[in-house]
Amino acid sequence: MAATALERRAVELQAIAYEVRFHILDMVHNAQSGHISPGLGAADIVAALYFEIMRIDPKNPAMEDRDRFVLSKGHSCPVLYAALALRGYFPVEELKTLRRMGSRLQGHPVKGMLPGVEATSGSLGMGACQAVGMALEGRMLGKDYNIWALLGDGELDEGVVWETSAAAAKYKLGNLVFIVDRNGLQTDGPCETVMPMEPIDKKFEAFNWKVMKMDGHNIPDILTTLQAAREYRSGPVCVIAKTVKGKGVRFMENTCEWHAKAPNDEPYAKAVAELREGRS
Amino acid sequence: MSLTKAKFATRHAFGQRLLERGADNSDFVVFESDLGKSSQSTLFGDVYPNRYFNMGIAELNTMATAAGMAAGGRTAFVAGYSVFISMRALEAVRTVICYPNLNVKLYASHGGVTAAIDGVTHQGSEDIAFMTTLPNMKVLVPMDTVSARAACDLALATPGPVFVRLLRDPLFEFYFAGEPFEIGGSKIVRKGEDITIASYGDIVFQALQAADALSAQGIEAEVLDLYSLKPVDVEAVLDSVRRTGALLVAENHQKRNGLAYELAATLLKAEPVAFDHLGLDDCFAESGNYFAMIDKYGFSAAKIVEAAERLLLKGRNAPRRAEP
Repeated sequence: MAATALERRAVELQAIAYEVRFHILDMVHNAQSGHISPGLGAADIVAALYFEIMRIDPKNPAMEDRDRFVLSKGHSCPVLYAALALRGYFPVEELKTLRRMGSRLQGHPVKGMLPGVEATSGSLGMGACQAVGMALEGRMLGKDYNIWALLGDGELDEGVVWETSAAAAKYKLGNLVFIVDRNGLQTDGPCETVMPMEPIDKKFEAFNWKVMKMDGHNIPDILTTLQAAREYRSGPVCVIAKTVKGKGVRFMENTCEWHAKAPNDEPYAKAVAELREGRS
Repeated sequence: MSLTKAKFATRHAFGQRLLERGADNSDFVVFESDLGKSSQSTLFGDVYPNRYFNMGIAELNTMATAAGMAAGGRTAFVAGYSVFISMRALEAVRTVICYPNLNVKLYASHGGVTAAIDGVTHQGSEDIAFMTTLPNMKVLVPMDTVSARAACDLALATPGPVFVRLLRDPLFEFYFAGEPFEIGGSKIVRKGEDITIASYGDIVFQALQAADALSAQGIEAEVLDLYSLKPVDVEAVLDSVRRTGALLVAENHQKRNGLAYELAATLLKAEPVAFDHLGLDDCFAESGNYFAMIDKYGFSAAKIVEAAERLLLKGRNAPRRAEP
């Protein structure tokens, strides 16, 4: 049976997501600092957004009616930097400068420093608020562009996420989508041990958000769900994405160990080999 | 001199000016955290409801959301009480507004202990320390309604973040309409050659009254209104103290990390002179009458007079450096 267009596109996006993952490993290994596993887990979602879902023009990063993406879980920025470079916002070569003095690729994203970065983020919760502000502006101007924010599940501990969620519902921001990267782990351990936030879906529903769920590694599911989220215009949408922290490198999967640890040469080589294996 | 009593507080004048500017500038927006009737931001909000966002009692979210609104260059005012703007929302001000240098203007009522009757929870008595410490931030403290209106215009005209500290209660009027103000500027509001008294906001009135009392004793004080606290007009201060040889700073703020610390550091490098400063002495104030409060905590006209006398006495008794 012939593959559908969606399936064919999914295969292409899967390959891009793997490219993103290779770059994440390279960047953090090269810098010997940074967050690997949060980015690996978000690579499929970020690839789908930048290479299929979002209305953007890398040649014109300030295009007025572009979609905006806010990486509220700013520590995952190698995934954002890699996607931006592969999409053509700046030379891929520049990824090597992550966390170096003088680099535009700061340890956490900075608005105005690197083309394509829409918000200063890394102080958890505040990216989500800025996304709400951008959506408010779009609504005020009667524009149809969408604002996408990727939040960590641990980030939901921040009270300001709920302040801003109430505001988004008040203003019926149908141009706003939060994607919660639900990998179940935060810095100090399992989310439900550090600070139980379940039921996350019911919390957002109680804040008058539309809630959708997807497998954050199944590209057809990601494309279908995010498209549905874009089309839902009655109010803000929260997409809860089930993900695996460290996805693609088995010894980094489902563990907090590689949250903020840089691999030296040996685990780096092993991780690259595993990624190659997973891609083929 | 006799001071004219004000009909309106500076918070009201600022809100009124914002409303007027709403007509000629259709681009800026105003955020509020459920204190609009108090900050007077409702003056704008009632006329421009589509450009006015009441985010509820959630100052941190209000601030960070305003940053998102300003991300593309738009100007967003954030109204509220100084104590909440400068502390509850401080990290958002620093990291997502000052760092990317966004056009967010902080419209901060109840600065210093001018919220006297409300008690310490509502007194912004450390706001200047926090705000002047942030890179890219400009800080203005108008003393009357004319300068408050000018501060609104300056905030609109100046790129990047600007913090404007305003007062809860009407005090006095000083400037005539049309008086020019600028970022980094200052005013000599009284000429004198014996001592320089530098202040800002409400305490400039106390300094003026103190100068009258000192004049009766034959001491002519020069009074500076340093309405721009950051950048502060160092040249004006140096020029004045080179003539008077003594500097007394009085402020409605903690003594620590306020204007006096800034000027002391500058003068030690450039022009060491006899120096003293008045303000909250590493303590919290309390609820009560504003005029009783600023006297009890040490920055009323009477306390400025005493400090000036002490300083000049000390200056006269100090061993003079040998002329080369």
